Amino acid sequence: MFYSCTLQKTLKLIRAARRVHNSAVEVLTSPAPEETVTGSFGKFISEVKSEHLSSVVLHRSKRMVLDSIGVGLIGSTTEVFDVVLQHCKHMYGPDNISTVYGRRGVRLSPTLAAFVNGVATHSMDFDDTWHPATHPSGAVLPAVLALSDMMPASRKPSGLDFLLAFNVGIEIQGRLMRFSNEARNIPKRFHPPTVVGPMGSAAACARLLSLDPSQCSHALAIAASLAGAPMANAATQSKPLHIGNASRLGLEAALLASRGLEASPLVLDAVAGVAGFNAFYEDYVPQPLDSPHDGHAFLLEEQDMGFKRFPAHLGMHWVADAAASVHKLLVGAGPGKVSPHQVQDILLRVPLSKYINRPFPESEHEARHSFQFNACSALLDGEVTVKSFTPAAMSRPELHALLSRVRLEHPHDNPANFNLMYGEVQVMLVGGDTVNGRCDTFYGHWRNPLTNQSLRKKFRNNAEAVLPSAKVERLIEAVDDLDRLEDCKDLLSQLQ
Amino acid sequence: GITDSFGAAIHALGPSQLTDGVIHRSKRMMLDTLGVGLLGTRTAVFNKAVKYSQTFRSEQRSSVWGRSDLTLPPCYAAFVNGIAVHSMDFDDTWHPATHPSGAVLPALLALAEQLPSRPSGLDLLLAFNVGIEVQGRLLRFSREAYNIPEFHPPSVVGVMGSAAASAKLLGLSPSQCSHALAIAASSAGAPLANAATQTKPLHIGNAARRGLEAARLAQAGLEGNPAVLDVDSGLGVYYKDYSPSAMPDCASGAFRWILEDQDVAFKRIPAHLAMHWLVDAALAASAELQETVWSFDPSQIRRVTLRVPPSKYIDVPLPTTEHQARHSFQFNACSALLDNKVTVASFDPAQINRPALRELLSKVEVTTPADNRPSFDDMYCEVQVETAQGGSCTARCDTFYGHWRKPLSQQDLVEKFCANASSVLSSEGVEGVID
Repeated sequence: MFYSCTLQKTLKLIRAARRVHNSAVEVLTSPAPEETVTGSFGKFISEVKSEHLSSVVLHRSKRMVLDSIGVGLIGSTTEVFDVVLQHCKHMYGPDNISTVYGRRGVRLSPTLAAFVNGVATHSMDFDDTWHPATHPSGAVLPAVLALSDMMPASRKPSGLDFLLAFNVGIEIQGRLMRFSNEARNIPKRFHPPTVVGPMGSAAACARLLSLDPSQCSHALAIAASLAGAPMANAATQSKPLHIGNASRLGLEAALLASRGLEASPLVLDAVAGVAGFNAFYEDYVPQPLDSPHDGHAFLLEEQDMGFKRFPAHLGMHWVADAAASVHKLLVGAGPGKVSPHQVQDILLRVPLSKYINRPFPESEHEARHSFQFNACSALLDGEVTVKSFTPAAMSRPELHALLSRVRLEHPHDNPANFNLMYGEVQVMLVGGDTVNGRCDTFYGHWRNPLTNQSLRKKFRNNAEAVLPSAKVERLIEAVDDLDRLEDCKDLLSQLQ
Repeated sequence: GITDSFGAAIHALGPSQLTDGVIHRSKRMMLDTLGVGLLGTRTAVFNKAVKYSQTFRSEQRSSVWGRSDLTLPPCYAAFVNGIAVHSMDFDDTWHPATHPSGAVLPALLALAEQLPSRPSGLDLLLAFNVGIEVQGRLLRFSREAYNIPEFHPPSVVGVMGSAAASAKLLGLSPSQCSHALAIAASSAGAPLANAATQTKPLHIGNAARRGLEAARLAQAGLEGNPAVLDVDSGLGVYYKDYSPSAMPDCASGAFRWILEDQDVAFKRIPAHLAMHWLVDAALAASAELQETVWSFDPSQIRRVTLRVPPSKYIDVPLPTTEHQARHSFQFNACSALLDNKVTVASFDPAQINRPALRELLSKVEVTTPADNRPSFDDMYCEVQVETAQGGSCTARCDTFYGHWRKPLSQQDLVEKFCANASSVLSSEGVEGVID
């Protein structure tokens, strides 16, 4: 058997063409990082600097830091916090590195401190809420604090570095939520903080660790494999672990990336047939992040944060404000009580959402997620506070009497969306009169933000549950001055 | 409800329910898992995980396989040992598809070292089988589990199996067992995109670790949703169709272990399971060519056509990393044709990048016949090799050696273990484990 010359030449040509074709295929199958969404995120995290933070973003994020610390401190008094703290102390030895909120002398390994502090932050559902819906700060701040504690004393981040990392963590969460329309609806499958929270924490920690663009991308990808917890555990004692784990696992992802662990370079991109971050959403259209030098604006500039006035699901704040206005009308000018005997029927007009429709909540967690409970508490007492969820308050006969008279209606114009919903309370009195209250925007919503004074009042009430007031004041000052602090240890040293 | 039935079964299953068949099969799984885990302790990903895990202090310490100098906090021992098991994609595979043992055994061994009195071999075997059984049951809750997943299956059911097994070994109450499952569900689910990357082994490592953690948290009194398996918003979130069913009462006699009816597959090659069909077919085609063609040489190959089931995840024309190579139909076919075998060494970077291999890769075409379904129970692989001289040879593999329909002999299983373990242990150590 032998070849003719032409056949040989043809074969040579075919082989050469194949090689060219294949190298093109190689480019197509492994796109350059600059051309991928994942790559653009990694680049942003690595290149963004503190001068890219506008004064609005600095101001808003400092308020978030203060509120988050406060709810974390009061959260350190909860049972679920105790369970996870004991678990960490039992399973792991004392490790004199990262501070635990509100417990003098207690320190843990950085990821474990991030875990327990994250649990504390979400333990009472008192932490901040954004739009599209998630609880952004609790997933990020505990990790950034723990990581800052881990850094050597001579090289602690400045307050501005700290704030930058925090803002990166918030920004990444906001950007990821905009990849999907589903993120704007009531979550049916995955609890949003578990989807975007670990990603935000990984981004913030990658920023603080000054990882290069490739490592930042890998941190996000590693975190994606740690994301996602089902909604079924929300309104159970496990829910706070969703934020605790988001914080912990994001930090872990960044630490692993810093040691060279690699993961999918296309995790945020939508690759047909291989599910990445899009596994968590039914619809998914990713967008690259603009370079910070190229006109990028932080989302926090356009979309402020909602802070809660009492520890319950955000939706409760509308009905509480509406019910409180009814209470005021019923008792007149002076302090007084509304009596169940006056009330025949209570109609709540609220969005349709199974998750917060609980006529007779049995646990504290359920009460925080019950339109009925919060409306009746506010109707009885004129307001809902931390104390409204104590066993004593929850078991009051007059509260139960009111609860049994509540009906819900779900008007078509009242969507389950924090930007558009309203709450209406219509009380029919025994005499036949009706008294109405309506709330379109509760005080604390991003359209009607808490004043600095109200925010500090909330902080003091929370922090003084575990810290002496001198420390509480120093914390307020440290956060206020955060962007001017040379060394964030002034903040780190006041948390317990 | 269903979750209650699982909690009750985990609590109540006892040694008397273990059958000879299940004991035999699960011991083989444990041996194979230890072997691949020991070999896996030489990988880069394992070493990165160990360095990271060493930053934690603890009073309780558990062993790291193959490293007599090293202990870690129990959860992190489970983490790194689980990573070792899956680090080379050499661990067992079941149907519906998952890698069941790597999520369970590392957690159990790490936990066993901490119990006030050492569990017996039978206790360990029982807990192991509980962990496997729970995974098998959960995989059957969805038709989707039989197809290409969005979430990497070990990350969905593995953590549940680890939680169940750990709860069993800890002797938790039925209610605590249910809560262990609920807590674990919030730790489930990693997207498939990280498979075929260095992070994939962490899916198994984390399943082992976080399942153990869930059981410990349940023991400490933490509660989750007591209907986590019943409701769509629980474990159901990981599947598009979800239809759970209860575990039968194990005292009633209606209980039968899934492992009794559905064995696992053990791998002979550290690569994705589908590669095993392909390699067997490629080796058969190569053997036939060598018999029929005078002095056949791989350089004479003009074109290689692979007829395989459709799966983007394992269709990698030009792999550059070890992990990609283990998940590449094209690479495994070419390795087999070039070397007449595919072994652990075939995935060394030097082997992946050799010119002869890259050259042959450029001649490969992949087609996906309509009758070739991406299911480990139904798929086949066909390799057609065409030579420059005009010759052509086709071979097909329906069931590779090591598949549950054609299990590895005990001798070959032990040989695989010895080859793996002796890279790390002395020969007395190897013998000791087999006994």
